[in-house]
Amino acid sequence: MIKFHPSEQHLVHYMLGELSPAMLMMVGSHIDLCPHCQHHLRDVEEHYAMKLFGQRQMPLPDLDEETMLDAIFQSSSAPVVPILETRDYLNLEGKRFKLPPTLARNGERIGPWSRMLGKMWRAPIEIGSGETLNFIYMEQGAQVPEHTHRGSEATLVVNGVFNDEVDEYRDGDFVLLDGHHKHTPQTHHDDCLTLATIDAPMQFTSGLSRLLNPFSSLFLK
Amino acid sequence: MRSVSDAIIERTSMPPVQADNPEHAAELLARIASEKSRAAFAELFRYFAPRLQAYATRQFGNEQTAMDLVQETMANVWHKAHLFKPDRGSAATWIFTIARNIRFDFLRKNKHRQHDLSADDLWPILAEENESLDDDYALDNDLLMQQLAVYTESLPKAQRIVIQLIYIEGKSQQEVADALDIPLGTVKSRTRLALQKLKELIQHHD
Repeated sequence: MIKFHPSEQHLVHYMLGELSPAMLMMVGSHIDLCPHCQHHLRDVEEHYAMKLFGQRQMPLPDLDEETMLDAIFQSSSAPVVPILETRDYLNLEGKRFKLPPTLARNGERIGPWSRMLGKMWRAPIEIGSGETLNFIYMEQGAQVPEHTHRGSEATLVVNGVFNDEVDEYRDGDFVLLDGHHKHTPQTHHDDCLTLATIDAPMQFTSGLSRLLNPFSSLFLK
Repeated sequence: MRSVSDAIIERTSMPPVQADNPEHAAELLARIASEKSRAAFAELFRYFAPRLQAYATRQFGNEQTAMDLVQETMANVWHKAHLFKPDRGSAATWIFTIARNIRFDFLRKNKHRQHDLSADDLWPILAEENESLDDDYALDNDLLMQQLAVYTESLPKAQRIVIQLIYIEGKSQQEVADALDIPLGTVKSRTRLALQKLKELIQHHD
């Protein structure tokens, strides 16, 4: 049972494509693992589509419907999006982890594993945005030295269990810590594969707040 | 520029629209998918295109980009109506998510955003998912793996381990070399010998 979820704001901004690329990957992967958020996302989409399309709207003056209709009928079929090449599993140290679909579809972005300190491994995910997005693997009995972050840190448990001073985190749990939290993640009897991004403030890019504000009562109660 | 009062006068004289009825919109999509009904598409278009245009104009602040988004979104609706699954949400939601994907890729290509994630990789709503094909493939693949597993049993132990790590666990040859602590060249030769042997076994049984 997943205990920790992204906020509703995260879901809304994920749905709109308005999170930073690293956070789109993080939230998308959580949704893959979380039936609760899948439902929620569908509701949010329905609400938003209703708001967008439910209003009365006259054709704007420069929309020449007939010309555009003709152009569409004449157009050749839009390029077929092929069945996507996916990388369904991630291997490390003789272990095999099933990747959530969002990560599987972006499998070619996953770089090689390297050992960090002690019992921890890291594999970067290259998304071209300059953000740090990594798989972090903790073997059993691993401990990260206590640390804080300049920015915030988002962590998604892909498989396994880890603890910090506050709680225990399992498959699908999504944890967002800001710079004020001190914590000491560690594993005990289980190992743990996580996806993590640091210095990821709640980047709600672009002028979306304009659009969102009228509906915030719907989403952000 | 039109004034607000012009817009209000126009709105009050608006004809009733049918396509905002969710069942009706879904039915129109079904007719586009099954019989390429231009009438059905035109009806959907007249409802959704102006609303998309208003959305896109607000989003981009550029008339031409907004028109491109409308045209590309509606062209996808026309060509990909068969991918609409009524049990997964309304027609309006489906059309909105198509527009969302197109907008996302527009913004990326226009260099407003520095990254290379594509909308199709994040939200694969327009990927052809031929479910029966997938199932067939999965079945064949399982069968093949089972047969291979049987043949693999008759390989010498050293070769069998290498084959299992590479073809069942999906490791690279380098990973196998690291895991077994043997030279990469040894992994390669064991793989080659094992595949040769498997080939002989399979041909023999055929």
